[in-house]
Amino acid sequence: MSNRLAPPRSIRRRLLIFLLPPLTALMLVVVFVDYRAAVLFARTTFDQRLTDAALLIATHVTVANGELHAQSLAQTPPTLGIGRDNDLRYSILGPDGRLLAGNPQISPVPPSGTNPSYADALLGDRGIRVATYRLTTGAGVATVNVAGIDDSRTGPVHFILGSTWLIGFIQLDITLLLVWLGVHFGLKPLVIVRGQIEARSARELRPLELSAAPAEVRPLVAALNLLFEMLGEAARAQRQFVADTAHQLRTPITGLLGHLEVLMREPAAMALHARLAALHDGMSRLATTANQLLALARADPSASLADKFESVDLKVLIERVLERNVDRSLESGLDMGADLRPAQVSGSARLLEDLLGNLVDNALHYTPAGGHITVRCGSDEHGPYLEVEDDGVGIPEAERARVRERFYRLPGSPGPGCGLGLAIVDEISRLHRADLAIDGGTNGRGTRVKVQFPVTGALVLPPKPRSRRQETETPVST
Amino acid sequence: MRILVVEDNDLVADAIARGLGMAGFAVDRAASAERAAMALESEHFDLAVLDIGLPGIDGLNLLRRLRSDGKTLPVMVLTARDTLATKVEALDLGADDFLMKPFEQAELAARCRALIRRANLSTSGQLNLGRIRIDVGGRQLQIDNELVELTGREWLVLECLALNTGRVVSKERLQQAIVSWDQALTPNAVEVYVSRLRSKLGDAVTIRAVRGLGYRLEEPKARMSNAAAGTR
Repeated sequence: MSNRLAPPRSIRRRLLIFLLPPLTALMLVVVFVDYRAAVLFARTTFDQRLTDAALLIATHVTVANGELHAQSLAQTPPTLGIGRDNDLRYSILGPDGRLLAGNPQISPVPPSGTNPSYADALLGDRGIRVATYRLTTGAGVATVNVAGIDDSRTGPVHFILGSTWLIGFIQLDITLLLVWLGVHFGLKPLVIVRGQIEARSARELRPLELSAAPAEVRPLVAALNLLFEMLGEAARAQRQFVADTAHQLRTPITGLLGHLEVLMREPAAMALHARLAALHDGMSRLATTANQLLALARADPSASLADKFESVDLKVLIERVLERNVDRSLESGLDMGADLRPAQVSGSARLLEDLLGNLVDNALHYTPAGGHITVRCGSDEHGPYLEVEDDGVGIPEAERARVRERFYRLPGSPGPGCGLGLAIVDEISRLHRADLAIDGGTNGRGTRVKVQFPVTGALVLPPKPRSRRQETETPVST
Repeated sequence: MRILVVEDNDLVADAIARGLGMAGFAVDRAASAERAAMALESEHFDLAVLDIGLPGIDGLNLLRRLRSDGKTLPVMVLTARDTLATKVEALDLGADDFLMKPFEQAELAARCRALIRRANLSTSGQLNLGRIRIDVGGRQLQIDNELVELTGREWLVLECLALNTGRVVSKERLQQAIVSWDQALTPNAVEVYVSRLRSKLGDAVTIRAVRGLGYRLEEPKARMSNAAAGTR
């Protein structure tokens, strides 16, 4: 059963294959019936001609002295020789079968219910039609026979037959074409539904528009929506689990970090300072990971659909995030600054704060003392943008695509970090339909990360499909 | 300066109490909202550090009750849940500041100091920043108890920075603060006044420039043993 489902089936092809034999058979029947009708009509007309001729000839038969004569016809050639009846031949036989006039090759046909009686006969090897009129006189019954080459199966009938075939073919073609087109247009709503599904990211599980679907497709769309709902429920449960876990981790981490910080300041613990500092580093890393997991769970498209997009001033956002990090930059001996021009984007302030926070965090991590970090925002011809540039260790060109993957860290990365930072940035950029570009900094040193947002107003569209859509995008035949 | 720490998790409460203790605060602890309410009723505290996730009556409800009872002491809210709704609700209910777990001890101490300073400012009109004292109402600046003369515009810049001690104040904001005094401001007016202020303040307090963002009046360092901050 299942392997029968394997090859993709086209409704149009199936419909055509199903329709072609009966339509062809129907066409053959129509052609046959038309042909028969034409032949019958032609024959009736021809018989009428023979009858007319026979009656005309019969007027020449006279009775003299108890004998039958057809004198006036004696000089007449065996053909009638008048107008269009040139092709007719006749014979007149007496009661004893003696030829009174005409062509001796034309014999009478046996009587049938009618007078004249008709029958097909052969003259030499040619098919002829013979009408025999029995004329009752005082001297017995004379038979007047008129024969002609029967063209009821040839001539005009051939033309009728040919045109019937032609019309039949045209009808068949048009029917099939209409079926093809009908299926195409009939399936349009399905194609629209397909488009809606194709345009989605793998984790976007909003229900499909039911009202747009035609009645026939509605059960399918409803079933799909049910599936989406179940998938969404599962995704939500998983997200909730991640979020709960992160929350549950935070409180003990806060306690442990706090105690370590207090301990490191105790004069009595000075001898252990290096070991406590190492512990503190590890704990900070754990804290960062918990925070980032939470940020990822938050950035999930289906989770953040509930997050209302609002107008976000990038300038204000940068000021807020940088202010938080001023002390860290001073401690690390870094010059951190900003170059802020007006830039408004439509987005989630909280998620964008996560995005910038992670970029600044990376810059602080990977820029050695004496380095510079500059955060910029503004609007260019492509729309508003946000940019973080440092002159630190940089990301080799070959690794720039991979650093967006979750848990990927550059080989030999220093300091705490778990490789979630840029994955979060990537996810949040996508959600805002923004382009994330990772390049080298000025003069090829360090890193420059630019988040280019679309022009405001384009953001009401659903989030940009994930890149794997490109891989699955194959032409679909219908 | 007395702080009440309301936190049910012993490990966290203990760390906070010790950290704030080292920063020079006197710290009391309460493990539940009921105990906290009792303590706040009977004794004076300069500030409360309040965890939202308390058993029974949660932190937000305690905060609501405190404010409806007319208690005005500054409240610093702690939470492990960083949903926007929680933060908005806490601030709406009258929290003065909000800190996400996990945080650094130094950060908590600095914010607590800023909150207490702000509360004192509103009651006494005075701001004490280590060696300097700013009398906002009387428009006076004292360094080591000696009066320092400031021009009107210098004073406005200092006031704007001092009211936001420890926070970066943007150049635009400083510009707006002095613009009413001089219609024809040169683009570098703020730099000029800041540099004049710096020379008058000497090493009593630092005004730090943050490139492209603005200026920050630094917290006077409450020096104990050198802080954990350097290990980040």
